[in-house]
Amino acid sequence: MFKIENLDVFRGETQVLWGVGLEVAPGERVAILGSNGAGKSSLMAAITGLLRPRRGNIIFNDRALVGLKPYQITQLGIALVPEGRRVYKGMSVRENLEMGAFVRRGRPRLKESIERVFGLFPILGQRSAQGAGTLSGGEQQMLAIGRALMSLPDLLLIDELSLGLAPRVTKEIYAALASLGSEITVILVEQNVELALRHSERAYIVESGRVTGHGVSTELIDDPDIRRAYLGM
Amino acid sequence: MLALSLTNGLVIGIVYALTALGVSLVVGIMNVVNFAHGEFYILAGYFSYLFAHTLGIHPLAAMVIAVGLVFLLGLVVEYTLIRPTYGDDMYSLILTFILSIVFQSLFLLVFGPYPNKPPSWIKGATEVFGLFHYGNQRLAALAAGVVVIALFFAMLKLTWFGRMIRAAAQDREMAELNGINTTRLNLLSFGLGCALAAAAGVILAPVFPVTPTAGTPVALTAFVCVVLGGMGSMSGCVLGGLVLGVVENLGAAYVSTGYKHVFMFLILILVLLFRPAGLFGRREV
Repeated sequence: MFKIENLDVFRGETQVLWGVGLEVAPGERVAILGSNGAGKSSLMAAITGLLRPRRGNIIFNDRALVGLKPYQITQLGIALVPEGRRVYKGMSVRENLEMGAFVRRGRPRLKESIERVFGLFPILGQRSAQGAGTLSGGEQQMLAIGRALMSLPDLLLIDELSLGLAPRVTKEIYAALASLGSEITVILVEQNVELALRHSERAYIVESGRVTGHGVSTELIDDPDIRRAYLGM
Repeated sequence: MLALSLTNGLVIGIVYALTALGVSLVVGIMNVVNFAHGEFYILAGYFSYLFAHTLGIHPLAAMVIAVGLVFLLGLVVEYTLIRPTYGDDMYSLILTFILSIVFQSLFLLVFGPYPNKPPSWIKGATEVFGLFHYGNQRLAALAAGVVVIALFFAMLKLTWFGRMIRAAAQDREMAELNGINTTRLNLLSFGLGCALAAAAGVILAPVFPVTPTAGTPVALTAFVCVVLGGMGSMSGCVLGGLVLGVVENLGAAYVSTGYKHVFMFLILILVLLFRPAGLFGRREV
């Protein structure tokens, strides 16, 4: 369903990804692990078209994504929950969600999708007329996820979900994501490795811009090397 | 005298606001300062003069055609001159500055240095609140300005295009990730910005005739309105326009007409002194 082959990505003249490859099956939840600056966010930027890879392929539902603009990639059914949430602070909660449904595939089912998001995160329903800038960090993250879901994506990319959030809120959001089941494919970037492994089926490990390992999440969580490197045990 | 100056201030203020909305839109979406903004205003004035006076088309139809043509010209300018400069604001600054000079010279060549005035929409005067007699044309200009501004805000609030504009003005990259073709949005925003200047031009030209260089103070005032109201705030620049219009006219009435622009910059300096982000500006954190 989604495949990356041999991807080289540069930021300016600096190479940030070297020959990255990964594969995601429909309905699967895959985590990308790695420390700060390992290249996780560059990978997200390359998938969504914000960074143009110099070499390699990104294939999504049999379509090559390299060279497409971000808005074209979104139209194909990939939605990003960006690092730092980036909700439109000057717009209301409802307007933020409407922006999520801007794409051709989202608009006809806008009303239905909004109800679905309000079902997933009831607090957003209560605050639908409020400015997004007045929401708490956790609520903004819910809104960012809701906005991404509004485009009815086949593939959801989530960048640093737990960053800056209280554990209780993080847990609540992960529970909501879990309730979506396998109707949606998810790639999860998370610097909290334990969280990432608990909420994914498989994981890839990225170090210094290279994929250095991958495996089944339940096995990785018991892997002594992983535990030493990322969990501090 | 006070009531008359206030009304004068409101009429001119609404037109300032209209012009400033165009600047604000283009700055907000594209981060481009269009130095030729005032020339689009003048061009629309000339167009409406040409169509209504020379060709004998109905004044209202002439206005609509004039605004439409300036909109199209705005699209052409964006496509040919502004688009190649994306990523470097300085180039667009210089290009639009040159464009304004080219326009002024062309106006001089085609229309001559004399003021030109499209026909009034209505004749006569009305007694306002039993205080003074006021030209119907000016009252009509005020009403037309209010209507166009109201339509613009309704568009921002209620349509997909308006939501696109607001989203892209806040976070361009995120808007692109939400599926907005920002290149095309730039094109339309620039055209719309020029059309707003044109709307102001056709509304005010029957009152204040257009001359080849009259666009410069118009653009200058519009920039001041935008800064006064706060960069990126549409409602702020409407307020800025009204404040400027009223202050200018009160100053002209009670102090001296010669100091008109002094009052404008005095207000600007005071506002920037006490509210550096402008009246409605969002403080950068």
